[in-house]
Amino acid sequence: MTLQLQHVTKKYKDFTAVDNLNFNIEKGEIFGLIGQNGAGKTTTFRMILDLQETTEGTITWDGKPVNAINRDVLGYLPEERGIFPTMKVEDQLYFFGELRGMKKAELKRDIDFWISRFELEEKRKDKAETLSKGNQQKVQLIASFIHKPQFLILDEPFSGLDPVNKDLLKDAILLLKEQGTTILFSSHQMDNVEELCDHLCLLKRGVSLFSGSLLDLKKQYGKTKLAVRTDWSTTQLLTLEGVKDVRVEKEQTVLTLKDESFAQSIFQQLSNGEYIEKFSLDYLSLDEIFKDKVGGSIVEV
Amino acid sequence: MRSLRIRLVAALSKFNLLMKQLYRSKLKSKSFVLMTCLYILAMSVAIFWSDIKELFTGNDQAKQIAIVNETTADLSGLFVSNDDMKFLQNENNLSKLEKKVKDEKLDAIVKITDQNGQLHAEIATYTPLKLNDQTTISSLLQYAGQHYAVQKLSLTSEQAAQIMSAKTIISNKNLNEESSGGKSEEEKQSGLWVSYAVGILIYFFISTFLSMITTEIASEKGSRAMEMLLVSVKPATHFKAKIAGVLLLALTQMGIIAVVFLVYAKFVKNGVIWDAATSIVKELSLGYVIYAILFLLLTIVLYLIVGALFGSLVSKVEEAGQVLMPAMMITLIGFYVMLSGIGNPDTLIIKIFSYIPFTSGMVMPMRIGATDIGGMVPLLSLGILVATIIVAYLFSLSFYKRSVLTYSTGGVIQKIKTVLKVTT
Repeated sequence: MTLQLQHVTKKYKDFTAVDNLNFNIEKGEIFGLIGQNGAGKTTTFRMILDLQETTEGTITWDGKPVNAINRDVLGYLPEERGIFPTMKVEDQLYFFGELRGMKKAELKRDIDFWISRFELEEKRKDKAETLSKGNQQKVQLIASFIHKPQFLILDEPFSGLDPVNKDLLKDAILLLKEQGTTILFSSHQMDNVEELCDHLCLLKRGVSLFSGSLLDLKKQYGKTKLAVRTDWSTTQLLTLEGVKDVRVEKEQTVLTLKDESFAQSIFQQLSNGEYIEKFSLDYLSLDEIFKDKVGGSIVEV
Repeated sequence: MRSLRIRLVAALSKFNLLMKQLYRSKLKSKSFVLMTCLYILAMSVAIFWSDIKELFTGNDQAKQIAIVNETTADLSGLFVSNDDMKFLQNENNLSKLEKKVKDEKLDAIVKITDQNGQLHAEIATYTPLKLNDQTTISSLLQYAGQHYAVQKLSLTSEQAAQIMSAKTIISNKNLNEESSGGKSEEEKQSGLWVSYAVGILIYFFISTFLSMITTEIASEKGSRAMEMLLVSVKPATHFKAKIAGVLLLALTQMGIIAVVFLVYAKFVKNGVIWDAATSIVKELSLGYVIYAILFLLLTIVLYLIVGALFGSLVSKVEEAGQVLMPAMMITLIGFYVMLSGIGNPDTLIIKIFSYIPFTSGMVMPMRIGATDIGGMVPLLSLGILVATIIVAYLFSLSFYKRSVLTYSTGGVIQKIKTVLKVTT
């Protein structure tokens, strides 16, 4: 057991930002905190980092309250990108590393490694403000874990990155995991969460809707997403038993079933004993589950 | 116990790292270098003023002024030619002289006549005289008028000389045996001027370093580097490191100025400045110098604390001016109160402001130097200043933790309200 949140609550004068939050993060796993803007993700991170006090509840790391641990075991990438605008990229990394108690000599190897891995070699001596937004983000990301923290918090690490850089970041996160780093990250891009997370917590307005493994969450809904290619019209499909909803997409029609047990009878009716081009039953995507859980479309607050 | 020590050492090294980073980056910053150069330039101008004046006015030819004395009295000894003015007293032909003035070979004619026993002078010019020259001639003529009046009384030359050089000699006697003797007017005058210089110095230092610390913290907050920093260091450590770093910069600047001053004083003009400075310090007593330095340093510390707190309130560096304004106003008030003391350092307003912690640094040195006050008064004022610093420090430390990560819009009051709302 490494990080444990028990009954964590954060109340302000006129509203509750986080309400009775409970979850555990095991050592070496990647944990996703998912929620809309204003769901309480950043507040939760700040409480874990002891930047804000909890109103109620306890947060412990290895059994010790987080405000009593050595802060250098933690790493944090804030949601708002922040680096020193006029400091050179390399100096910046040395500065943050040293601030976390590392020696210059120890840092050199890691800084060289990450700079080349994130393709920042040419920008090494440039001032941070002259870099593109994506590159600034990569610099800040390196700064957040250059001291090899045991526990790393990444607040919306993917926002603003192009697909190539997103892959670089994903690889880096997986490499850190391999090295034994426990990672907690937030995102509202569900595909990233699905790819990386072992466990997750769904937050809505400070309340946890689900906390556990991704597979468990999907199993809760069952295999109710059925993609088919057929000549049947929408009205005809809706008359089939167990079909809750029909959505026509470009190359396929997607049915939402009441339960996965209806799939077999639907298959028989659609194929009628003959060849069928597409019939694919699957779990809902995290995106769909999320929308269902938080209630309809995602509202940007 | 051991882990506590390790943590203390770690906190100290983080403090050092933050302080050094601030110190190094600001030391190389344009504003710091420029400001230091400006101080040195101002000092150089002050020290070499006479040479510089020479450079600008030295080329001016002496004004040619003819004196036509139509009275019986001999006033020729009063008009002595110098570099600025040359008096011609042996030509009495007015029309000749007037032609010379029109030809611009002569600058002015002063015709002195007797009117009902009083001296009357008429200054004839083609191009009007400069104010400076006018004043010089006027005062010479006033003196001549007195001289003339004395001569009319038909006194002996000794008697006349006695009247003309009459002066009252004033000495002070203190009947209060408990306090030391009052200051002479001379002591007060030099105290006044030195205090004026100290006050200006404090004012400039406060303005420079107050805005430096506020913008430094505001820019870290605005660039969002603050969150990255505060994950690794405690807000209190950050707060202290910023104050220490800027204070160190202020001391560095003072050090540079002091060294340049010493070099000037010792090696320029055969050390006359050094002699003058030591005689001023002697006149003012060592106590004054110590008080002035203490007030200077403590006032800067107080303003740094306030500046750091204000910097933590704003959301971005562009808003720094908004919070700096009230603090700047207070320094300005102190500065003007001090200026008002140049004319009369004994007013009630000066007494009041010499106790207010934010202005006492500028006003109190003037009271110590230029008025007769007991030993308790400056001590009391210094005590109030120290107490205010301690209170401000403790308050800021706890408030800083809450404000430094709170981003809000609106005015200063609104920002404080937001901080209180979201952190309690």
